[in-house]
Amino acid sequence: MLTASSRETRRCVLPHSPAVRKIALGGALVLAFAPSLARAELGGHYDSVMTDSARLQAKVRSVAGASFTIHNLALPNGGEVRQFTRADGTVFAVAWNGPGRPDLRQLLGPRFDVVQAENSPSRGRFRRHALTVQRPDFVVRTGGHPGAFFGLAYLPPSLPAGTSEKDLH
Amino acid sequence: MSLRTLLHALAIASLGLALTACGGGGGGGSGSSSSGGAGAPAPPPPPTIAVNYVPIILDGGPPEIVARGGAYNEPFVSVTLCAPGSTTNCQTIDHILLDTGSVGLRVQASVLNASLLSALPVETDASSNPVGECYQFIDGYVFGSVRKTDFTFGGGQVAGLSIQVIGDSGVFATVPTTCSSSGGSHLNTVSLFGANGVIGVGVTTTDCGLLCAGSLSQGSAKYYDCPGNGCGNLITRAASTVAPFEQLPNPVAAFSSDNNGTIVVLPTVAAGGAATVTGTLYFGIGTQSDNALTGATVIGTTTSASPHGAGLITTVYNGQSLVQSFIDSGSSDLFFVDSNITPCSDPNLKGYYCPSPPVNLALTIQGQNNVSVSFVQTLNSAQPLLTTTNSAVPGTGYNPSNNPGFTNTPSSFDLGIPFFFGRRVYTAIEGRAAGGVNGPYVAF
Repeated sequence: MLTASSRETRRCVLPHSPAVRKIALGGALVLAFAPSLARAELGGHYDSVMTDSARLQAKVRSVAGASFTIHNLALPNGGEVRQFTRADGTVFAVAWNGPGRPDLRQLLGPRFDVVQAENSPSRGRFRRHALTVQRPDFVVRTGGHPGAFFGLAYLPPSLPAGTSEKDLH
Repeated sequence: MSLRTLLHALAIASLGLALTACGGGGGGGSGSSSSGGAGAPAPPPPPTIAVNYVPIILDGGPPEIVARGGAYNEPFVSVTLCAPGSTTNCQTIDHILLDTGSVGLRVQASVLNASLLSALPVETDASSNPVGECYQFIDGYVFGSVRKTDFTFGGGQVAGLSIQVIGDSGVFATVPTTCSSSGGSHLNTVSLFGANGVIGVGVTTTDCGLLCAGSLSQGSAKYYDCPGNGCGNLITRAASTVAPFEQLPNPVAAFSSDNNGTIVVLPTVAAGGAATVTGTLYFGIGTQSDNALTGATVIGTTTSASPHGAGLITTVYNGQSLVQSFIDSGSSDLFFVDSNITPCSDPNLKGYYCPSPPVNLALTIQGQNNVSVSFVQTLNSAQPLLTTTNSAVPGTGYNPSNNPGFTNTPSSFDLGIPFFFGRRVYTAIEGRAAGGVNGPYVAF
């Protein structure tokens, strides 16, 4: 559950409190400010993250933990994208928050089509629900309102050992 | 971030320019402190809006939605649009969703009379090309033209208001990939959108703010250059709340008075629901005798400078601090995660909660101003959504996680229309004093 301490962890995504992140992850802290960005789609390799540096003009800050590394991308629009990579470089999760929903086609790669297929317009009584996917091999949760969106997508089979959804924030 | 600081500086500079350019134009009462020496009388405030309210109705919605079983917990209002300068080429459009969670007036092209649509000028950009817009909602996006209209809402009026015409034709017929790639459906029909349009009266003054004004980046809104071969390149648009508009303003923020926020008042609804319910939307907070900020707790929200976005508060529920919570009249249910509450078993109610008996949720809301307030929100079974055609159903809740197991995401509690029943809910606009307190805030 998201306790007060994990709220601190979320806060420390912001650059001004890296120490809390270090404690929370119990691992080495590596800061790599680089004008890079992410083409690394979910399930891809992080190497590709660094290839498209101009595209989103994002500042990348990488924080290595015991079982995975978080690459924080500060977007020019004030939003944030966080990509989670395993030791072998596989991007197994991506999370976002900010004033707009990011380019999910880019972040999710071919799995974007799954999001679209599983969120086709509702039938029956009209209702308006956030985009979501709940599959054994692919999970997406989103929320917010125009001006403040957030979301998380991950690949359960690729989670590092000992890691669960509650660690992805 | 230094970039954001720079954007702010640029935007503040451009705001100053705008005020100078518009000086004396009778806009909002925010600017003109320039000419008074000591002892000079303050300029008279603009007259308030005589009828500073409109009725709200929760009913089955437009015919397309009634045919699907009817809307529920959707607050609708009517707006009147006229061709600029005309008092005869006008149309009153009902079943516009009243949304404190978005910003800007957007109307489905299909509900506009051809004579009116053709008389609403399309905004043009620096290249003299038409301007298009993409705007994201939680379940998809809308794309269309940006046009000018003379807007009447109760006693409030705005000449030359920028609005979006969703699903417009011509160069707007093809949705740019950079719009659709944010996911979800193109909500370009009444049936898909659930309403004839939406009037967003959220906490910001415009729908994109500095994000679209200073660079080609974007928030929920993206503005496009639309030459003859279609819309492709993003363009910047100024964040003005006085004419000439570029971005879509919050229509209430564009009023000449009573422009610091809104109050949504809905009655209590008995368990099981009601066929229809009526309420009132007031313009302004603390500007007239009917919109005083009394008896309400002010909860500051995040601003548009927040990396999480604007309009967010913290809800403490079950010991969790849900930092991306918000109050939203455009949400039909309470959206939150609690796998200990009985979900509905009927597949037609997948994701909804069906507790029996009802559950009292103990909630504490915390603001950015360090004010907190605790209250109990009743969660009812969503079963009446299936067994009745009631358009007002109290206490409906939905689990956006859809996950039977343990989860901590999303870190959010969305207080939708069930929260509004029996309350006066204030939404104060960013950067504006409302009842003696600066927005953005929510209060109830």
